[in-house]
Amino acid sequence: MKNPGRPDSSRYSDNKPHWSWHVVACVLLCLTATTGRAQLTIEIIGGGADQIPITVLPLADEEKFQQRISQIIAADLARSGRFRLQEIGSVRPLPSEPTEVNYRYWKNRGSQTLVIGKVAQRPDGKIEVRFRMLDTAKESQAVGYAYTIVVPQMRAIAHKIADIIYEKLTGEPGVFGTRIAYVARFPQRFELHVADADGGNSQFILAHKEPIISPSWSPDGTRIAYVSFEQRRSIVFIHNLVDGTRRVLAAYDGINSAPAWNPDGNRLAIVLSKDGISQIYTINVDGTGVTRLTNSNAIDTEPSYSPDGKYILFTSDRGGSPQIYRMTASGSNVERMTFEGSYNVSPRYSPDGKSFAFIQRMQGRYSLAVTDLVTHQTQILSDSSLDGSPAFAPNGRLILYASIVGGHGILAAVSSDGRIKQKITASAQDVREPAWGPLVGNR
Amino acid sequence: MRQILVAVCVALLLVGCASKGGTQGQKAAIEQRDLFEQKDKQTADDAAKQARIRQEQEELKRQLEEQKRKQEEAARKAAEAEQPVVKPLAETGVTGKSLNDPASMLKDPGSALSKRSIYYDFDAYNIKEEFQAVVEAHSKFLQEHKEFKVRIEGNCDERGSREYNLALGQRRADSVKRAMTLLGVPPKQIETVSFGSEKPKALGHDEEAWGENRRSDIVYIGIDAPQ
Repeated sequence: MKNPGRPDSSRYSDNKPHWSWHVVACVLLCLTATTGRAQLTIEIIGGGADQIPITVLPLADEEKFQQRISQIIAADLARSGRFRLQEIGSVRPLPSEPTEVNYRYWKNRGSQTLVIGKVAQRPDGKIEVRFRMLDTAKESQAVGYAYTIVVPQMRAIAHKIADIIYEKLTGEPGVFGTRIAYVARFPQRFELHVADADGGNSQFILAHKEPIISPSWSPDGTRIAYVSFEQRRSIVFIHNLVDGTRRVLAAYDGINSAPAWNPDGNRLAIVLSKDGISQIYTINVDGTGVTRLTNSNAIDTEPSYSPDGKYILFTSDRGGSPQIYRMTASGSNVERMTFEGSYNVSPRYSPDGKSFAFIQRMQGRYSLAVTDLVTHQTQILSDSSLDGSPAFAPNGRLILYASIVGGHGILAAVSSDGRIKQKITASAQDVREPAWGPLVGNR
Repeated sequence: MRQILVAVCVALLLVGCASKGGTQGQKAAIEQRDLFEQKDKQTADDAAKQARIRQEQEELKRQLEEQKRKQEEAARKAAEAEQPVVKPLAETGVTGKSLNDPASMLKDPGSALSKRSIYYDFDAYNIKEEFQAVVEAHSKFLQEHKEFKVRIEGNCDERGSREYNLALGQRRADSVKRAMTLLGVPPKQIETVSFGSEKPKALGHDEEAWGENRRSDIVYIGIDAPQ
């Protein structure tokens, strides 16, 4: 893996305000998907200011296993854009226990933080993974854990360690252990996939020749609601990821679409056109208790709950063009939120509820934008022309979205400050409709 | 009176020009002379003689008419030989009308019914002037053929929001249905569905493809698509 290098030297030579367009970090992770059909490749462009320098040493004996844990950890940290991964140098043997660490050596190399550890196969076949994060200035351990796992959990434990390091050094939860869902399109087939946040371990949970759109994770991460056209019209299903079963949530006459879970996970906002034009309703998880929330003669769609469950953002063309509105969760006090431009769609609340991402058309380009709900400032975060379907990482640091590059659908991610960008391409013809799963405990 | 009649008969004989008619003409002229002589002599057997003459006159008249008929027949045949015979077939007296297959009417490329698509401007669902004729033709057809049902399929281009496009596609389909019902088509003959931007007909990412994909299709169930 390449050293990400220093971002700051290039930023001022570039006339684009938000981006460091030189490739300051270009980490290519060719990840093997279990299906072999929808491999994702992640390319990272850009880098944040004030990156935290960190040295992740190979864990002792990790090379005996197919998945090299230190490489997964380093790739996760690099991909966040908040760390500068340093060369491991030439000193050998590499330390795997604190007593083996020459702190002066690592301090002189500029390493403030050093990650060490080891992997050992136990007589019962299980694997013990130990890691420690050391503060070279204090010459002490910042955090350290030992895990007993089985081989298929190697990737998951690496992501978990990366999350611990991330949280310890940034004060925010890491999202490396979370999962994403997306739709892959092949010539004769659509597949709804669930993958690790780094695109690895991708596997489909639904495949059909008709389209699938709008996947939405339940707050506990056990279910995904989505819209399938398998009956040649839009119907909302809820799919249980644990047992692989699913059932119809709504199949009324006309449109059944745009499912969005409320934060409690017991109801969803959905869009139905059974009473005429597309309007927003709420529905219990079991399909009962359908209640109409909006009453307009216009299209109302794309509901998104605020994290506290008190508000819903949505798209409506009641003013003559599609714009973003906010209402209370009971459908009252409708308030227009966007005023710039004639096409603002696909609102998504940020996890802290302080801003929302959406797609804005400006000069014929459909770009990802974020508006601060307090200052009402809007920042354009993407520079391609056909972006859509924004999805916040559960820590709010990254926004995943769909884009079209070279005639193919890809997924892209950008940090919410616009500094770091990732491009995720796939072996599928198109990938689209990303949805980022919640932060959940051990899985 | 009798003289006049005889004179007419002589004139008719003279008009005849056939070679055979020549000998008959001479014979008639002789008899005519005899007739005048008998009148002058005032014979006692006058009445019987007149009856015999009358009989001969009748016979002569019949022969003349036969002559005339044969001449006209010959003239007619000659005329017919020089020109093609053109004549209408006699009326049978049975009325009927041409046979129509409604399904083939839908496929006739010369018919407005062969046009099944209505195209839209970006983010619009109104039926433009140029597509009114398509809607009207199908509305008329559906009213005349109540056994047919259509599905209006609304589509959008790929730009913007998939969910907004799904709603917009429904609105496009519904606007066609509304126009048809206003023209008198029973609503139960029309169903609608939106595919939003999910089933693009043109796969490009340019205005040409987008224009093709902003479209409602009138799909005849059982003809264009399975039941």
